[in-house]
Amino acid sequence: MIGTVLFLLFIVLMLAGVPIGAAMGFSAAVAIALANRDAQWFGLLAVPQNFYAGLGKYPLLAIPMFVLVGSIFDRSGVAQRLVTFAIAVLGRGPGMLPVVAISVAMLLGGISGSGPATAAAVGGVMILAMGRSGYPPAFSASVVGAASAIDILIPPSIAFIIYSVLAPGASVPAMFAAGMVPGILVGFSLMVPAVWLSRKYRMGLLEADLGKPPFWRSLREASWGLVAPILILGGMRAGWFTPTEAAVVAVFYGLFVGMAVYRTIGVRDLFEILRQSGELSAIILLVVALAGIFAYSLATLGIIDPITTAIVHSGLGEYGILTLLILLLITVGMFLDGISIFLIFTPILLPIAKFYNWDLVWFGVLLTIMVAIGQFTPPLAVNLMVSCRIAQISMEETVRWVLWLLAAVSCVLLLVIIFPGLALWLPRSLGY
Amino acid sequence: MPSTDTPPKNCNGAVSEAQQEHTLFREKDRGTTVPLQIEDWLTVIAMALLACITFANVLIRYFTNSSFAWTEEISIFLMIVLALVAGSAAAARNIHIRIEYFAEKGTSRRRRLLACFGAMLVFLLFVLLAILSGRLAWDDFRYGETSPGIGVPQWWYSLWLPLLSSAIALRALGLFIRKRRKK
Repeated sequence: MIGTVLFLLFIVLMLAGVPIGAAMGFSAAVAIALANRDAQWFGLLAVPQNFYAGLGKYPLLAIPMFVLVGSIFDRSGVAQRLVTFAIAVLGRGPGMLPVVAISVAMLLGGISGSGPATAAAVGGVMILAMGRSGYPPAFSASVVGAASAIDILIPPSIAFIIYSVLAPGASVPAMFAAGMVPGILVGFSLMVPAVWLSRKYRMGLLEADLGKPPFWRSLREASWGLVAPILILGGMRAGWFTPTEAAVVAVFYGLFVGMAVYRTIGVRDLFEILRQSGELSAIILLVVALAGIFAYSLATLGIIDPITTAIVHSGLGEYGILTLLILLLITVGMFLDGISIFLIFTPILLPIAKFYNWDLVWFGVLLTIMVAIGQFTPPLAVNLMVSCRIAQISMEETVRWVLWLLAAVSCVLLLVIIFPGLALWLPRSLGY
Repeated sequence: MPSTDTPPKNCNGAVSEAQQEHTLFREKDRGTTVPLQIEDWLTVIAMALLACITFANVLIRYFTNSSFAWTEEISIFLMIVLALVAGSAAAARNIHIRIEYFAEKGTSRRRRLLACFGAMLVFLLFVLLAILSGRLAWDDFRYGETSPGIGVPQWWYSLWLPLLSSAIALRALGLFIRKRRKK
């Protein structure tokens, strides 16, 4: 009964446009008060306690640092130099610029931890360049929106950090390693329809004979950016740093590149960089903290057990339930950003995963791919929205292109479901 | 749709035109009576401190093979302060993650009503949080609790949750008043 109130209130508030965190905290507080009508202060002292408990976790410190890294690299002009280098390698042949966009999004995904930021950085450079070469803006926006959605799969990823805080037994390094292979697969799978579509509709022929930028010079200029993912991921792998420390090392590395090498960041820009990334981190962290209250009320009111029992005894079987989960999460992913989805659904879904003995690392990767798909599925796609605004088009125009890209990523999702080794091989062989 | 991103103003000349679009994403800092610079400066200081403390930790462990684990307590405290202070600015700018799909549709009257409702709910929640956490801080003070890491009085830390929650509540109230006035 109280469980119903909790969920109904939460859903209604959320749909009414109340900030997600506030909707979670408020409905949880109401549910706690209803359940403890006789207790002192209605048992509500648990509210601030769980606010602290939700936030006071050391791994979460990596979030503001990775947001800061993304913000610094966005401004440093690394994206532009990576694009130049990728064109020097791949050329301007038919369908090559979309491949450039996808590769650069993957590389940037290896530096920053948030999808919309990558969409802005890659879109800012690529959508104009692709337009000059004769790709329709709707196509460019679709490619950039989809490519930047891979970001949450390619380590470092804020979504993985949040998941590992919620799921015991799935450590941050293990999640990072597990996302690597599926992330690269998704990237390659996006290239297939992108190249095929551009050849079929003869797009991007305008600047085909413009010539490549000089290889060695563009490699030298791009090398600062190319080294960053190696520094972050290699440093963690070598045991030099924890994820948080890797992030902070990347912060100072990015500042060095931006201020001393490229000279694109001045001292005055630091204020805006710190302010923006601080604000974005706070937006994420507040949802995390308030979700702590929500998770507490779910756990103590005994809501999850009946739901789990009902689901696992519904007679759908393991794969039936997995199919339902896919549909549910992709739908939710269209409305919500990945972090909120993890915070809302992980406490509810973990008991189901445990019941079927699913590997929690594998399950986390699956959840993340589903969320990634949702983030570029119209009409409510976070990343696609960013790239459409840059391309100055409406999201409806992208549908005919995005559907192909969706199909490609869905194939990868199926592959990871059928062959869990795709996600689990790397973390296991690295010994996490 | 959620508005997690605060897109960058790029200084790279080649892309500036497209990047300018991004300023459309954020609600402008308009009409706050109390300047948002207060929160902004605190945010910048907290972020810079967090980065420097963690970086110093890496360096010191590297050169001396000893780490100062007690910085963990301070870092986590700083992160909580950051979340609340910058969250307060974000409340005033109305950029917290929310589903805008239904709230941005319909008549202007409905949109205004929902905007006011959202702001009011944030206000109520953080007033509640301020009261309850104030009670916790009072308990820490009364019973002389000390922190597990460094051993300083716990209320040095817990005092800030009620104070900063009230700040968020006031910012939400300000947003409520601005949304109500807007025709």
